[in-house]
Amino acid sequence: MSTTAEHAGGIAGHIHPEPQGFIRRYVFSIDHKIIGIQYLITGFVFLVLAGLLAEIIRTQLLHANGGFVSNDVYNEVYSIHGSAMVWLVVIPIVTGAFGNIIMPLQIGARDVAFPWLNMLSFWIFPVAGLMLFSSFLMGAPVAGWTEYPPMSLLGGPGTSMWAAAIFLVGVSSTLTGINFVVTMFQMRAPGMTFTRMPLFCWAQLATAPLLMIATTALAAALAALFMERQFGVPFFDPTKGGSPIMWQHMFWFYSHPAVYIMVLPMFGAISEIIPTFARKPIFGYKMIAFSSMAIALAGFMVWAHHMFTSGLAPYLQLPFMILTFTIAIPTGVKFFSWVATLWGGKIHYTSSMMFALAFVALFTFGGLTGVFLAAVPFDLHVHGTYWIVGHFHYVLVGGSLTGIFASTYFWFPKFAGRMLNETLGKIHFWLFFIGVNMTFLPQHWLGSLGMPRRVPEYDPQFQTWNDVSSIGSYIMTLGILVFFVNVLVSMRNGKKAPPNPWGARTLEWQIPSPPHYYNFKHIPTVFGLPYDFSQPLPYKGLEEELTDSPVHAGAH
Amino acid sequence: MAVATLPHGAAAAHGDHGEVDQLYVETRALRLQGFLLFLVSDCVLFSSFIFAYLYMRNSGQGWPPAGINHLDVAFAAVNSVVLFGSGATMHYALENWKHNNFGKYAFFMIATIILGAMFLAGQAYEYTNLYFKEHVSWAGSGIFGAGFFTLTGMHGFHVTVGVIYLTVLFLQSVHGVYTKDKYFGLTAGTLYWHFVDVIWVALFSIFYLI
Ligand SMILES: [Cu+2]
Repeated sequence: MSTTAEHAGGIAGHIHPEPQGFIRRYVFSIDHKIIGIQYLITGFVFLVLAGLLAEIIRTQLLHANGGFVSNDVYNEVYSIHGSAMVWLVVIPIVTGAFGNIIMPLQIGARDVAFPWLNMLSFWIFPVAGLMLFSSFLMGAPVAGWTEYPPMSLLGGPGTSMWAAAIFLVGVSSTLTGINFVVTMFQMRAPGMTFTRMPLFCWAQLATAPLLMIATTALAAALAALFMERQFGVPFFDPTKGGSPIMWQHMFWFYSHPAVYIMVLPMFGAISEIIPTFARKPIFGYKMIAFSSMAIALAGFMVWAHHMFTSGLAPYLQLPFMILTFTIAIPTGVKFFSWVATLWGGKIHYTSSMMFALAFVALFTFGGLTGVFLAAVPFDLHVHGTYWIVGHFHYVLVGGSLTGIFASTYFWFPKFAGRMLNETLGKIHFWLFFIGVNMTFLPQHWLGSLGMPRRVPEYDPQFQTWNDVSSIGSYIMTLGILVFFVNVLVSMRNGKKAPPNPWGARTLEWQIPSPPHYYNFKHIPTVFGLPYDFSQPLPYKGLEEELTDSPVHAGAH
Repeated sequence: MAVATLPHGAAAAHGDHGEVDQLYVETRALRLQGFLLFLVSDCVLFSSFIFAYLYMRNSGQGWPPAGINHLDVAFAAVNSVVLFGSGATMHYALENWKHNNFGKYAFFMIATIILGAMFLAGQAYEYTNLYFKEHVSWAGSGIFGAGFFTLTGMHGFHVTVGVIYLTVLFLQSVHGVYTKDKYFGLTAGTLYWHFVDVIWVALFSIFYLI
């Protein structure tokens, strides 16, 4: 272990002066906090766009005969809605935004390992996003976000643009993953062993290898699809010797781990928020940390549970079914740890905590329906129906998006320096919570009755629950509008945020809000876990953080 | 913590005043780890295409398909020896740099670049032969053409990048960018070049041997 003195001449003692021009400071910034905020803003812009597409879908489905948009446009709309939500909203926000803003602060570093690479990762992302949406101009993909061949081989020219855009987002993710792994391995403050690292960082550490490895596998599939569409190279077309099933293997080898890319970081955020507002040490710190790793590892061995109807050999179905069941164990470990943390705690019902509690409930529901789906006989019944749509929206909206809101209410004071309005937060919460359940719960019933997904019109017997679902989605959207109003108003007129408004114990709360360019005046030394409420803080060297004294840069 | 995990070579690095240059030591550790992780994800890219090729081979009507006997194994074997030889010369180039032996370093470095270029020339010869004499093409020869040209093309691209990269490194070292103690660029170049070699072992096996 190194001492503070040893660090003085190294990276921690080496501070570049803060750039002064607007462009270098806010546009092409290399500061992890600014880059994180850029990710957050860009991700929210894409959330609005992809959310509008969702409302087109729900409006179309208000009537059994559709009629709001043409069937061809409808196909394009749900394809881009899914792609944008996964790759342009959830993944960039949970890793690029919150990972970037919070992780280096929590480990006591001045920045990520490769700040320039970080800037590159960010700037690839909006470019790829514009490419994805521009595919509407040339005939967007129509085969859903999964783009199975042979449909994707027949889709409009925009399908190639789609592949290129997702490939680029993948490059950005891969670079972020590399950056985060190296940062967490090499740049923790003195004394911060892995078993003292905050759980949010553990979650990012479990996610980063998925970003690096799974995303690259997807890149190969996308490149192959692009080559086949543009140059006729036979990978997936069965008439030329290719195999459409191979796409499913390659796609799900990425996209099952991608589920964990989208939710593991939020598991980490919830593990910070719940102990803070229950005023109790987190229950089972090591179990939560290691279960993240177990989930990340097991996530690579279950992809074929998406392919039970594709003619997968029965002797392969059984192991994939059982392995998928076993992932419920580490997930259950987390669930019980959170509940045990709440047990007997003095719970503060802030907006952030309400969203965190909703996360626990909604994600558990989505997780349980996932266990149903892993069972081959049940999966054969509901595959390709609205049951699936209901399931994964509970995971992604009830899980990831709810987690994103919980994290935003929690960390906004830190990175923006202003408090969000709690009343608007509560209104947002109730509209969103009621809306989510109203939208996605009935879809399970529609699916088990046999309503297929991705259809522009349906049998009139499904009308009632579709209407309930659509009205629910309007309520949810209203809630999200309240959230954006809250953010925009509070950004300028909110109460000034104190350094530690929630009484939290991780490092980012021990420095000013927003933090200085260099984060810490003095890199602190860490003596223990950050969760022992009622004990003194386990840090040394933070005495000057909230005073006017100058930064200790390289002065040794 | 960052300090404790350093390889012996960097830990011995000295600054201007005879002290350990802590900034260099730590930066080198970051870059080394980052570069290795980049190679890991690059390896996944190759593995995915190798999986795709083998999957297609095994999901068809038996392998090899009738009338496919196009590959000149003997020529490719010689070409492989050229590439593996360049791996050896690269190794000696780095060793000689570490031992402050600039003359030998320059010899082995130039040899590596030339051998790399020879491998590319051999591959170009093989491609033209396949395309014009055997009429095997990327898009028109089923899964064999798709797999062979995509994978060896990706590898060839990596070799091309490597030859350019090594040339730049060599010019940098001539202009005194690297010192006896601070030569991370050369380490990265060596790692990259060995990586390209290892990938070729896998590709040679699946296309020429099995
Ligand atoms: Cu899955």
